[in-house]
Amino acid sequence: MNEAKMNPVDEMPDPSRRKFLNTAAVAGIAGAGLSVGLSACNKDAPAPTAGAAAQPVAAASHAANAHLKPGELDTYYGLWSGGHTGDFRVLGLPSGRELHRVPCFVPDALVGWGHTNESKAIMGTKPDGSLRYTVADTHHTHASYKDGNYDGRYAWINDKINSRIARIRLDYFICDKITELPNVQGFHGIFPDKRDPVDPAINYTTRVFCGAEFHIPLPNDGRDLDAPEKYRTLFSCVDAESMEVRWQVLIDGNCDLAATSYDGKLAATNQYNTEGGYHYEGMMSAERDACLFFNIARIEQAVKDGKFTTFGTSKVPVVDGTKTANADPKTALVAYVSVPKNPHGVNASPDGKYFICAGKLSPTGTVIELSKVLEWFDGKLDDVDKAIVAEVELGLGPLHTAFDGRGNAYTTLFLDSQIVKWNVEAAIKFHAGDKGAQYVVDRLDVHYQPGHINASQSETMFADGKWLCVGCKFSKDRFLPVGPLHAETEQLVDISGEKMVLVADHPVRPEPHDFIIFKRELLSPKQVYDINEFPLAVKDPKEAGVFRDGNKVTVKITSLAPAFEPREFRLKVGDEVTIILTNLDKIEDLTHGFAIPKYNVNFIVNPQETKSITFKADKPGVFWCYCTHFCHALHLEMRSRMIVEA
Amino acid sequence: MKLHTAWRGALSFLLHGLALCATLASPTASAQTAYEAALPEGINNAPTLCDMVACTEVLPGATIFSERKGQPRYVEGFAEHDGQRKLTGYVMLSTDITDTPAYSGKPVVTLIGMNTEGRFTGVKILKHSEPILLLGIPESALVRFNDQYLGKFVGDNIEIGRSRPEEDIIGLDAISGATVTVIAQNQVMMTSGAAVARQVGILEPTIREQARFVDRQRPLDWAKMVREGAVQRLTVTPEQVGLARSPEPFIDLWYGYLNHPEIGRAVLGADGWQALMTRLKEGEHAIFVIRTGGIESFKGSGFVRGGLYDRVQIRQGQDAFTFRDLDYLNLYGVRAAGAPAFDESAIFIVRSPAFSGAFPWKFIFLGNRVDRATGARSFANFDTEYWLPDHYLEGGRPIVKKPDAPWVRIWKTRALEIGLFSALLVAVAVVYAQRDRLTRRATHKNKWPVNVFKYSAWIISIGFVGFGLLAQPSITQVLTWFHSLLFQWQWALFLTDPFIFLFWIFIIVTVFLWGRGLFCGWLCPFGSLSELLYKLARAVGLKRFQFVLPMAWHNRLKWVKYFVFFGLLAVSMFSMGLAEKLAEVEPFKTTFLVGLFNRSWPYTLFAASLLGLSIFTERPFCKYLCPLGAALAMPSTFRWFGLKRKQACDSCAACARGCGSNAIDADGRIDHRECMLCLDCMVLYTDMHACPPLSQERKRRTKAGLPLTPIGADGYFIPIKPVPARTAKV
Repeated sequence: MNEAKMNPVDEMPDPSRRKFLNTAAVAGIAGAGLSVGLSACNKDAPAPTAGAAAQPVAAASHAANAHLKPGELDTYYGLWSGGHTGDFRVLGLPSGRELHRVPCFVPDALVGWGHTNESKAIMGTKPDGSLRYTVADTHHTHASYKDGNYDGRYAWINDKINSRIARIRLDYFICDKITELPNVQGFHGIFPDKRDPVDPAINYTTRVFCGAEFHIPLPNDGRDLDAPEKYRTLFSCVDAESMEVRWQVLIDGNCDLAATSYDGKLAATNQYNTEGGYHYEGMMSAERDACLFFNIARIEQAVKDGKFTTFGTSKVPVVDGTKTANADPKTALVAYVSVPKNPHGVNASPDGKYFICAGKLSPTGTVIELSKVLEWFDGKLDDVDKAIVAEVELGLGPLHTAFDGRGNAYTTLFLDSQIVKWNVEAAIKFHAGDKGAQYVVDRLDVHYQPGHINASQSETMFADGKWLCVGCKFSKDRFLPVGPLHAETEQLVDISGEKMVLVADHPVRPEPHDFIIFKRELLSPKQVYDINEFPLAVKDPKEAGVFRDGNKVTVKITSLAPAFEPREFRLKVGDEVTIILTNLDKIEDLTHGFAIPKYNVNFIVNPQETKSITFKADKPGVFWCYCTHFCHALHLEMRSRMIVEA
Repeated sequence: MKLHTAWRGALSFLLHGLALCATLASPTASAQTAYEAALPEGINNAPTLCDMVACTEVLPGATIFSERKGQPRYVEGFAEHDGQRKLTGYVMLSTDITDTPAYSGKPVVTLIGMNTEGRFTGVKILKHSEPILLLGIPESALVRFNDQYLGKFVGDNIEIGRSRPEEDIIGLDAISGATVTVIAQNQVMMTSGAAVARQVGILEPTIREQARFVDRQRPLDWAKMVREGAVQRLTVTPEQVGLARSPEPFIDLWYGYLNHPEIGRAVLGADGWQALMTRLKEGEHAIFVIRTGGIESFKGSGFVRGGLYDRVQIRQGQDAFTFRDLDYLNLYGVRAAGAPAFDESAIFIVRSPAFSGAFPWKFIFLGNRVDRATGARSFANFDTEYWLPDHYLEGGRPIVKKPDAPWVRIWKTRALEIGLFSALLVAVAVVYAQRDRLTRRATHKNKWPVNVFKYSAWIISIGFVGFGLLAQPSITQVLTWFHSLLFQWQWALFLTDPFIFLFWIFIIVTVFLWGRGLFCGWLCPFGSLSELLYKLARAVGLKRFQFVLPMAWHNRLKWVKYFVFFGLLAVSMFSMGLAEKLAEVEPFKTTFLVGLFNRSWPYTLFAASLLGLSIFTERPFCKYLCPLGAALAMPSTFRWFGLKRKQACDSCAACARGCGSNAIDADGRIDHRECMLCLDCMVLYTDMHACPPLSQERKRRTKAGLPLTPIGADGYFIPIKPVPARTAKV
């Protein structure tokens, strides 16, 4: 009796039970067959017992390991600026894997950004329909807040070249609005507010502040070309929802980076060119520059009261924030706190108490206590510089500062190629005269010449002190050489302990500047689009087809793997063609592409998404429109014939 | 070695002989029978089901069939008119939907057609393993049974038995002798039809009242959630899916219901839970699943192509809920202290108001069982039940009226007959337990005090038990149980035949108490019929033709039945089907289940011969052929209470001569393996006129003027002991 023979076709699946035959079963044959019960297969799961719960959660132990196993998910999102690639990037951390690039200011061949009608409408076009700008330089990205933490609605990113601000929807990870700031150049610093200064019910972001670096004539219409002393910069406030510019502030000096307070009352920008110099020597001549604090409530009251002017064709109200106009603290819109020599970076500590400016050309970090700034605005502090509670030496070339939520600050030292970890309260004690206070906790070499730095949740009230990322501007020998242009190094540091531990190098295509890192739970991205969000959507293949109005032709196409509908369409040379394509596939990740050879058309449609593109049919012939985004086993067969009759 | 050869030779002889008989018996149907029919290769998995089987036969009018779709899977059938496709209905393969086993323990693989209104349009048996349909009941009976479904609506309450309009129940005529098969088939039909009808919207999902949760803000750790049943486990072992036994589970899952605030917060943390709840719309429900062990993934890759998670499902009552890719969210970790490590996880969203957290539901892992010998895959479900604990729900758990299991319904509908039958069994046992009183009343000349009970039992068992209830125990049940013990024991399967079930309880108890004779001699319908014929023949004057085999021959032939039994058992190891065929050595099916005149002539001839022979010699089948008798005879060796013997029995052969069962040997010993407990010898035992030793003693005492004292338990007059006179020595 061998086992195989005992096992007729699809019967008796269970060899172990078969073995039972050899032992106990003879008892069954003797007529006692009812006495033994084996349970049916779907009842075999043993009763759950508390004892079965054994090891601790795997997810909880990730903190120490930056290297994820296949299938393992990152615990943090990172939102990155792309630099002068002009894009916005999404990284997973701690792995450092790049998950997405969101095109915003510059065209993108993959998604068709800057080619489709919808993206062009967001980017802005010239009267001839061509894009107004095709280059951009993104530096800083920050996300919307609610109750001191990210709420997952929006992120904003700046374009320094063309002074534009773009908003990224964090549900779809797409750019939905771009605003060009009037009367400014070198739009650099950007920061959303965290709540309303007046209305306690508005506990979320409603404004985004934007600082301009470059001094220009106002308006910049050809006047004062050779009178640099008349050049000015403005600090701007953009409405978070409408993306309209709410107001601007005319200031002395310039704006570099920006920060906002957790109580919503203050926004700040550091200044490296209080001199108004137009060559670098001039810009670095003064020993102290400044950090400006904007009293938001007062500025908005001033706007409301009509105390503003406008420049050129811009309708945006501009209030006067110059020193002379703000001498009286009780009515001042702006406070000028002095900071040593060409500072860089202004960062808000997660406890809500301090802003820290890094010295750049001064080896110092300056700690400004916000409550004292508010006291000055209330007339209770005679000298606003008394808000400086610490100004301590950190190292050479301090640039940006991050926080761990345990009272420590981490500042990049560009020239030293180091990160210095220092304790803010100890620095304050030291500054107050306690020379025994050891404020520097640790130093870590990074590779090389670090610029921006940020830690997990550092820009929220919930800084968790787990990971620190530092954007090193030079990589030199850290990666395989690929010619003269080097990748930059984003280095990951474990800051969960007393000592900083460098755990990973990640090459990034030049050249990201700033970034934020936050917990993955804070976002709830949508998996597919809602077809109803697209007014042009072709909701049924039966609606597809060619619709002609003179020489204006609309071709409505649907995609449903593995076919486009219609499978061919006819045009005439000279037609002005608009193709509207809706991807009717509902399956997550089933994206289709649509390319037309010789017509320079390519874009993608994600599930349930609709896009359109307009072009002139100027070449007769047969043109195979095909799916460029791998979709199906019949991907190569997924085509439609565009027939252009001469 | 020699023995082995001899055994094989004998076995092959038996096989050939009976196979020949079987061949003779089924001269027609063998060509088209679905018994153990080979299914087209890949039928369980191929997308194009209808390329393999004749879907048009069950969905007339449809010419174009879709690929398999849905969960559980089905096929759409279209008719083409003027180039326009029109949906005409659905075709489903029963084993795609349910693995309900029939009598054989294996499913009847059925192709079912249903139109767009939810009415059955066709039923085709592709494969079955039912022995009763192989021989005895023609397969056409099952076809006729299935034809009863045509035109019936899938949402109706269709049951086996009579229609009960007052209860909204539509009855179907069963197949006599194949009740278990048709009950299983009815379940397959209704389950399959409903599963598809619900998917395509013919049947509305049940709307359940939504749960109202008790939130006491308790921080629950994992162990507490396990203890309270707020998380449940589902483990599938490799052997359950046909893989080699291994300490590593095939898949080990934990799951729980996240809408409950205490559970949700314990698993996701307060913020995570809040974020999840804001994502859910009214009537949506979140369930988390983690895999803590095993080699299999519960996600698989089906959701990548089709967007549907095809390995997991939720079921609540008749409603099945599947998950699309858009119903999936990442589970970023389980916060509860003491939670096990896991390597695969999910939050699934049930988007249907039909689901309610207040009622019990099942988490189902949809697997495949792979037959290691053939590589054939068959469908297998594994589930455990989840029901929020009473104190998690405002007002506690609602009262849930679960539909009775089919076997419960049978017990309910046949309660009266079951009661009568049970009374019969108890009565016989009680009567037998009182045998001493009866046998003392009876005499050799007048055995009516015993026989009135025995003959009544016979008549009732022939008429009521045999022809009425068709409750004739059979060796096939022994074989089936034996295989069930080895492979899959399902009480429900055996409980669907309450009479056989009760009969077997009676048999097992009485065999070990008194030996097999009480069943064989008093209650076996065929045995009773056989002996009744013998007695009647004797009564009508055929006694002179009646004979008893000489003891020498009897002692040889009585072993045949053991040979038959072990032969069947051995054959069943190789092929249950063949063993079932060979079990036709029992004329029971012919006599009671199907009817003497409803079978092909060899069967009728065989049964009639045995009954005919019974007229001339007592119980020839019972004595020499009955494999069931043999199976029961062996444990009878260990019966608790035997019949009585007295010292003189070893030399007196009076009882032996009168023993119709030839169960008393030359030395007066009773062979309890052969004894039918007719009690004739026990009547004799106390009959002072018939029992030779007693009679002798009676004569001696009468002569001596001694009183005839009552007869004691030892079978003798209670001795008179002279009491010594008090004054003797004065």
